[in-house]
Amino acid sequence: MKKALRVSLLASLIASTSAIAADQVTFQLDWLPGGDKAPVYVGIQQGFFAEEDLEVSIASGRGSTDALTKMATGQSDIGSSDISALMAAKAQDDVPVVAVMPYFTQAPHAFFALKSSGISSIKDLKGKKIATSPFTSSNAFLPLVLKENNLTEDDIKLVKSDPGALAPMMITGNTDAIIAWVTNTALFIAQAKEAGKEIVEMPWSDSGLSLYSSSLLASERFLEERPEVAERFIKAFAKAVKFTYENPQTAGEDLHKMVPEVDANIVAAQIKSITGLVFNDVTEQDGFGHFTSERIKQTWQYAAEANGLSQDALDPETAVNSRFFK
Amino acid sequence: MNQTSQPKLWLAQQANRFAPALFFIGLVLLWELICRVGKVPNYILPSPSAIITAFFNVEFSRWMIHLWATLRVALMGFVLSIMIAIPLSIGMMRSQLMNRILYPALIVIQSTPVVAVAPLIIVLLGTDDPSRVLITCLITFFPLVVSTTTGMLETPPEMIELSQSLRAPRYRETWQIRIPYAIPHIFSGLRVSITLAIIGAVVAEFVAAEEGLGYFIQFSTSFFKIPQAFAGLIFLSVISLLLFKSVQWIQAWFFPWSLPKKK
Repeated sequence: MKKALRVSLLASLIASTSAIAADQVTFQLDWLPGGDKAPVYVGIQQGFFAEEDLEVSIASGRGSTDALTKMATGQSDIGSSDISALMAAKAQDDVPVVAVMPYFTQAPHAFFALKSSGISSIKDLKGKKIATSPFTSSNAFLPLVLKENNLTEDDIKLVKSDPGALAPMMITGNTDAIIAWVTNTALFIAQAKEAGKEIVEMPWSDSGLSLYSSSLLASERFLEERPEVAERFIKAFAKAVKFTYENPQTAGEDLHKMVPEVDANIVAAQIKSITGLVFNDVTEQDGFGHFTSERIKQTWQYAAEANGLSQDALDPETAVNSRFFK
Repeated sequence: MNQTSQPKLWLAQQANRFAPALFFIGLVLLWELICRVGKVPNYILPSPSAIITAFFNVEFSRWMIHLWATLRVALMGFVLSIMIAIPLSIGMMRSQLMNRILYPALIVIQSTPVVAVAPLIIVLLGTDDPSRVLITCLITFFPLVVSTTTGMLETPPEMIELSQSLRAPRYRETWQIRIPYAIPHIFSGLRVSITLAIIGAVVAEFVAAEEGLGYFIQFSTSFFKIPQAFAGLIFLSVISLLLFKSVQWIQAWFFPWSLPKKK
């Protein structure tokens, strides 16, 4: 992958005459490559970073906290992660990482059930068995979304299982519903189809849980030492995000070029199914790429409650630095 | 000998000779049959044919890239652990004090689950090879220390007495008597360690990696491509088996005398 990356960068460097010595930036993903992680790959393949004289390398991560740790220890400069994980980390420890731009302006958490189960809304989950994975950030928000629907944790039977086993468990009837991110919807539909079943998606953002989620974060050292590089990166990244959701198929192919194991069509389907997390009422009202103080406060209220932290453990404004997005 | 029994005898001999392979083929066929008859979906248990298709759907060059990434880390970790384990065992065998100091520490290291420590090692040493090699080394070196030490301590006392009565220096006692006696033990340790080295490399890739067979398996599961994950898993087991065999070949080639006598 690294080699492919270098070759493509080389090609774009030759193409652009202005590039002499590009600035190196290491981008941190919070998970493995997939549809929602496409923008950074698109930025490289479409030459958006090269236009800004940047040479970007990508490191995969294993969850939000893993990505945060790597940015905090300087192993990467900038990357994607859940902003509520950042807030929770900052409230407990002075983590030198800040959010610079929102990416998902709605939470990606959702319940999924088979159509044949008769479950069609969150209220129908009373007395049902629900499976979730042990380390997902969704678990912290579960009590909140249940409360919004007049349920408590005692009303459901929660079991934990490996993320890869969740959808099969639901399809085989081992569990009534599962908790997962809507980034997986396209995959779940395909799996259910294989067994001749249909699924129902119940996004938590539809039932009261409205907050910032996956965001672009950067290490404070990177912003202090190379502010001008950071500004150019964020500009190119924003351009790549827009391009990705306008051209899902091209984005899928771009990702496939750099990570050949990924199927371009699946990535395109994933991108289409999560467009609502990136472009929605919130972005329409506040403008793409802008954090608002009000929604930041709201996000922190949820994050604090979900993580059992006191509301005044953190001034949520300190977790954000919007000066770099112009 | 009568004419008719000869082909039968030949068949029986061949069946006996290829019994392990036949058993294996039978098992795979049974697996395929269960998947087809029971209509087991791929995401629960992929059939062998689906796994084979998935294997060939991935380009050969990709397999080689992932294989090399895993093999490189496994072998570096393995060599490093030999370089640490053997001198350590010699030291512990020679000095009671060193033994008393190091042995508890070794047990502590061995009983710490490396999977739990791996993320911390990555934070300390970064996401490149050094941390992966260290994780592999931590998993592999203990069996080597134990088997080497046991081997050297099992040297017949009369041989040691003889060498002492001839006033042989201690380094000769170690190199010419104890180590040769320990060779069969060292090799059984190496056989255990080499398979652990692959496990170590995979554990490291699960925590931080951009390529490698462990990463490939994790990646395939994240896309719910279960047949592809199985293909990676089987490829990994074949590599593990080949490495195990290589250690046996090295022993047979360089130290044929250390093998148990054939009947």
